[in-house]
Amino acid sequence: MKSGRFGGWAVCALGVFLTAQPLNRLFAQHVAVGPQVVFGDYREVSSALHYRGGGIAAKATLEWKKFSADVVLSKLKYKPTDTQNGTTEFDASEVNVLLRYYITGPVSAEVGFMNRKADPEFEAQSVGAITAGAQMAYVLGPGVRMALHGGLMFGAKYSGGGTTSGLGALSLGLGLSADALHGRVRVTADYGFQRFSRKTDDGSGALPAPIQQSLGRVGFAIAF
Amino acid sequence: MKARALATAALFCGTVLAAQTIQNPTLRRAQQAFDNLDYRQTLTLGRAALRERLTGFERARAYELLGFTYSGMDSILKAVDAFKQVVLLEPERTLDANRTSPKALSAFQVALTQVLVVRQLVVDSVTFVGGQGVVPIRYTVTQPARVVTRVVSGSTTLRIDSTVATGQVNIRWPARLPNGDPVPAGNYTVVVEAAVGQNSFSTSQPIRVAHGIVDTVAHLTSLPGYTYLPETEIPPKSWRPMGLALVYTGVALAGTSALSNGDLGSASLREGGAIGAGIVLAGFIMTLKKPAPQPARGNILYNQLLREQISRRNTEIAQENTRRRQQVALTVAPLARAGGGR
Repeated sequence: MKSGRFGGWAVCALGVFLTAQPLNRLFAQHVAVGPQVVFGDYREVSSALHYRGGGIAAKATLEWKKFSADVVLSKLKYKPTDTQNGTTEFDASEVNVLLRYYITGPVSAEVGFMNRKADPEFEAQSVGAITAGAQMAYVLGPGVRMALHGGLMFGAKYSGGGTTSGLGALSLGLGLSADALHGRVRVTADYGFQRFSRKTDDGSGALPAPIQQSLGRVGFAIAF
Repeated sequence: MKARALATAALFCGTVLAAQTIQNPTLRRAQQAFDNLDYRQTLTLGRAALRERLTGFERARAYELLGFTYSGMDSILKAVDAFKQVVLLEPERTLDANRTSPKALSAFQVALTQVLVVRQLVVDSVTFVGGQGVVPIRYTVTQPARVVTRVVSGSTTLRIDSTVATGQVNIRWPARLPNGDPVPAGNYTVVVEAAVGQNSFSTSQPIRVAHGIVDTVAHLTSLPGYTYLPETEIPPKSWRPMGLALVYTGVALAGTSALSNGDLGSASLREGGAIGAGIVLAGFIMTLKKPAPQPARGNILYNQLLREQISRRNTEIAQENTRRRQQVALTVAPLARAGGGR
């Protein structure tokens, strides 16, 4: 079910929008781009469908005045923890885009979207949603920042159908970045948790089919 | 008593006479007779000396001997007459009140009031910026008289004061030409002329006026008593980074656990725990690390104020220096006098 999900074109368009600035303005921006190693935990429907895996990701951060944006592209290979129930491994390609606006003190508001595609398509649910939430950031020390963010995911669409109530899809995250080499390099570590309280209805009534994923990402980024 | 006073006067006379030499033998003998308290012989020899050819100094000494002798002999009027001649010959002559008999002093003072002389003309050495200072001039005129003070240099004559005065007179001369410009550099003579009726007296004091450049004021790099303060300050070491890292990590892990769906089994805290451990470690390191200097807002404002103050003062100094470079420093110094008044 590809309709209703956010594809790669949308990601590209947002990236072009964020970086389509006159050249002289780019110097006022802070951009960091770098790879990350990803490890995750994925569960779906019941405790029997439990996957764990790892992969790679790329994260780009753009800061401009009170705005900042995170774009994360990740690809993981999830393997079932229990192979006895007939499940097979699958690849999960995920795009996360968050646009943030600083409000006051440590608080910023953020909106964005996420899209995760499973391959093979029927091995796990592909999902897309709009996210909205807030972030609290704190500077631990010179060049070391941590952030905690949480929010709701609205309008979730699933490849296998199903719906989620307004407060049924939640995300939670924790992040750390530490400058190194005079700020030219950043060591990054991020944690993201997603829960979709998905319900399906095959005509016999609504049945819970929750989806839950925990992702940990560690890497570095070149800042310029 | 009289003998002691006269001896004192003789001693004083001797001291004064020691400064210059008396060549005339008659006057020498008169001096000898005075030293021996032989007044009649002193009078005889003194009058005889005055009939001879004497220098101005010797003539003044002869009259002075007569004045002291007449004072010692209580012939005050004659003593006054003798002292009048002394004053006319040497207007600057003064008697030491501690070493002269009261009678002689009294007679000398009376003599001073009976002749018109301008005495003790003094021009103080002074340096000032042209137009911003004065040259102090003072003199003493012994009788009420019209006194005119002029400064003369070649054909240039500047009348600087005209007054009717007696006693000490103080004048403040701005050393400027009538058009306001400072007087040119060179040698000048301050001439004081006093006149009353047919009597007149004038005295003079040569002076030298030199021009120089006015010192400029150095620019300021700091204000005395005020120093720049450090614009950053290191905050005290705090466990806040560690505490906040624990709180953030705790919230993330507790949230994960709370938000996990029970149907999916126990929540996986592996990912959150790993990242959270990294954040707690970073918080711990930041707690141990020396805190980064933070901008000290108060000090920054203070330094800014100080810089503005110094800048403003330097602007004023620059303007002042521009003005000073267009000015001239006048140095006025008295020169040695050639002779007395007449």
